[in-house]
Amino acid sequence: MPGKTPDKEPVENGGYRGGKDIDMKDSDLKPKGQKSAKEGDDEMTVVVPPSKATKQSSAPPPNDADGDVAMDDPSKAEDGEVKVDPIVQTINDIKSNFALLDRAVALFDARFTLRALRSISSIRKRLTPDILAQVISETFPSSSSSSQIAKQLLLAIGRPGVSLGRQPGPEMEVDSEPKAKNGAAKKEIKEVIPEIDIFLAILTQVLLHDSKQFQLGFEFSRYLVARVQSLNRRTLDSLSAKVYFYYSLFAEQIGPLPPSPQSPIVSIRPTLLAALRTAVLRKDIDTQSSVIVLLLRSYLLTSHIAQADLLVSHTQFPENAANNQVARFLYYLGRTRAIQLRYTEAHEHLTAATRKAPSSACALGFSQTATKLLLVVELLMGDIPDRATFRQPTMEAALHPYFLLVQAVRVGNLEDFEITIADHADTFRRDGTYSLILRLRQNVIKTGIRMMSLSYSRISLRDICIRLHLGSEESAEYIVAKAIRDGVIEATLDRERGFMKSKEVGDVYATREPGEAFHDRIRACLALHDESVKAMRFPMNQHRLELKNAQEAREREREMAKEIQDGDLDEDDLGGEFEGM
Amino acid sequence: MADRQLTQILSQLKSSSLSYADASSLLSKAKLLLLQLNALTPSETTPTPLLLLARETYEQGALASIRAKNPDAFTRYVSQLTGFYELPASVLPPNAGERNKVTGLYLLLLLTQGRYAEFHSELEALTTRDAAAGGNGASIEGDRYLGYPIRLERWLMEGSYDRVWKAMKKGEVPCEEYGVFSEILTFQIRSEIASSSERAYPSLPLSSTKSLLFLESEGAVVEFARSRNWTVKDGRIIFPTAAEVAAGVDGGEQEKEVSQMIIENALGYARELETIV
Repeated sequence: MPGKTPDKEPVENGGYRGGKDIDMKDSDLKPKGQKSAKEGDDEMTVVVPPSKATKQSSAPPPNDADGDVAMDDPSKAEDGEVKVDPIVQTINDIKSNFALLDRAVALFDARFTLRALRSISSIRKRLTPDILAQVISETFPSSSSSSQIAKQLLLAIGRPGVSLGRQPGPEMEVDSEPKAKNGAAKKEIKEVIPEIDIFLAILTQVLLHDSKQFQLGFEFSRYLVARVQSLNRRTLDSLSAKVYFYYSLFAEQIGPLPPSPQSPIVSIRPTLLAALRTAVLRKDIDTQSSVIVLLLRSYLLTSHIAQADLLVSHTQFPENAANNQVARFLYYLGRTRAIQLRYTEAHEHLTAATRKAPSSACALGFSQTATKLLLVVELLMGDIPDRATFRQPTMEAALHPYFLLVQAVRVGNLEDFEITIADHADTFRRDGTYSLILRLRQNVIKTGIRMMSLSYSRISLRDICIRLHLGSEESAEYIVAKAIRDGVIEATLDRERGFMKSKEVGDVYATREPGEAFHDRIRACLALHDESVKAMRFPMNQHRLELKNAQEAREREREMAKEIQDGDLDEDDLGGEFEGM
Repeated sequence: MADRQLTQILSQLKSSSLSYADASSLLSKAKLLLLQLNALTPSETTPTPLLLLARETYEQGALASIRAKNPDAFTRYVSQLTGFYELPASVLPPNAGERNKVTGLYLLLLLTQGRYAEFHSELEALTTRDAAAGGNGASIEGDRYLGYPIRLERWLMEGSYDRVWKAMKKGEVPCEEYGVFSEILTFQIRSEIASSSERAYPSLPLSSTKSLLFLESEGAVVEFARSRNWTVKDGRIIFPTAAEVAAGVDGGEQEKEVSQMIIENALGYARELETIV
């Protein structure tokens, strides 16, 4: 699917690449790098397929052609076709989504809704309050129960003056004629379905976010969330997931900012938890997965690790959630586990998160953040990360401080290690890995002792103490003794003469080590095989077709055999043919 | 009316060194009063002076329960205090000293109970709070109360037991409540050292064992050695060698285990291959 991504998308995302976290706030994405890029991808893997739907749908007939062109290739339409006004174009784009939503409701198929949601990213760049106001005014009939909703939307985008029904805003004079007709036509046909109204509300959220009206956006979202919760329609599921996403996003942006316990993200937790409960009861996977992720994020932002842990243990993350949500969930889970010193689990989750992260450039922020954390966890486990990780062109710059760190840990140089920490303390703090990195000190010492044990058959405690910059010889003695007990080195201590004597290194092939390594690899291969089998998708009823084909083939064969038997076919001819092949 | 009574109780609690029984009866009285004033947990309508009183009550309660070596009660007080500590400064002016003292004690408690996951979660929260306040981490480690458990944890992890020992001894302990944990910590590091020594030294003279284990006399060393099944001979402690330990515990078993594991693995591979092919 990603292959179909409109050409424009990467360009937009290109902006994120170099940009640091601060830039991200400009977009509708979450402030943290990984989130934003992630979300970006969510919308960027845009497959706005040429919607044939437009034609059969109830969309306003006069715009049909334009709408179709736009959907086929937005960029081309914009660049090449001068005759289409970009505003009209955008309006048509938005409206063509209504058709999708209509179909989603009619056919009860969430895919159409998702398709509509994906197109938001292409619409958003062209979205202005005026355009949205016009769409709203044309969509909602003035005399209906839903006019109240439309008023709210207009109020939120700061165009309360625009009247519903036929009259578009004064700025739209140019193309007001056909539009008005559409509005009128539509009004007569039917009431606006809630899906369309929520979709427009999401666009409003996007608009408010892009124009940085966080406070207003927050208020509006609160109203919207209340509305979404009052509606009970399965076709709304993926839309409401989005609504919650923006709600929490707005909450994060308005002061006091997250680490403070007074941040609005704390106050919206009850709402989110309620939403989670409802979503679980309704088996609403979209909302469930995105709300769990939002809650986890919120807990981690305020360092409520215990709550995050409880949340994870009391909920079950839906298995078939969207890939991006899974990746995010795994990242947050890995983070929690790393803080709790459960490194093996953390490592597992983070590896999965980095692998599940979209490989395209738009989700680079997420990959980077997850990789950073993964590196630190690997170091904490006593492993040295693969050097190739640092060579990837997209990662190189961002990972540089970590590269220095790995180098220091690898050679066991406590001095380098401390210098690296001091030099890059700000970077580490911003990445949220600082406290984890501080725990690395003991690993550095262990590696240092190990290096010395390998290089010297006998070394005095005094020298160890000097090389590792330990406080005193006694400390050195205790530390070495602990290292021996932990199996870091094979050595003995001589207290009276004050030295460490390394034992002869045994033959590693005599131990069970190679067997274990072998077993691990085989297990990984088998797991890979199993997963790929599971991941295969078969088209419905395809096997019947194959059966039929097989049967036909058998029939043909039988006929041929019969013919051969009858002597109709010349054996020599057959043989010649085969040779030719 | 009730709040005046509460103030009185608080001053009583703070002034004298009460026995735990007295303190706890005073505390339960205080808590009843708080309940009457509807200030047991912070709510939006609770006036600031009451919040201050409530917080102080809990802080005193926490300290008293530590002095009485009652970790459960202490943990309860700490969780009750959490709500108060999260209030904005405008509602409840922070009292960093007492807060850090209680938090530090809590960290130490987690440390001695071996609840490292919670210890680090708590620490992470502290760092975040500090970052929010514009600090750079130095203020936490620099703090008299908070820095103590953090340093202890680091030393314990890397194995600098002598520093832990020193930190507990010569007046390094930030306040008397922290001393309560010294006993537990001493026991903890002693057994850590003992298990490291078993593996690290073939044998040790009694005198150096004494200093190594921070024991008072050689008699204590002999007693300790007996409790760990060490042989004392000619004024030296002979540690059981690794081979002996292994032989004593699971020598043959392990050998069997290895071959069994290999067989199991091989059978597993065969089965998997079967399903694939």
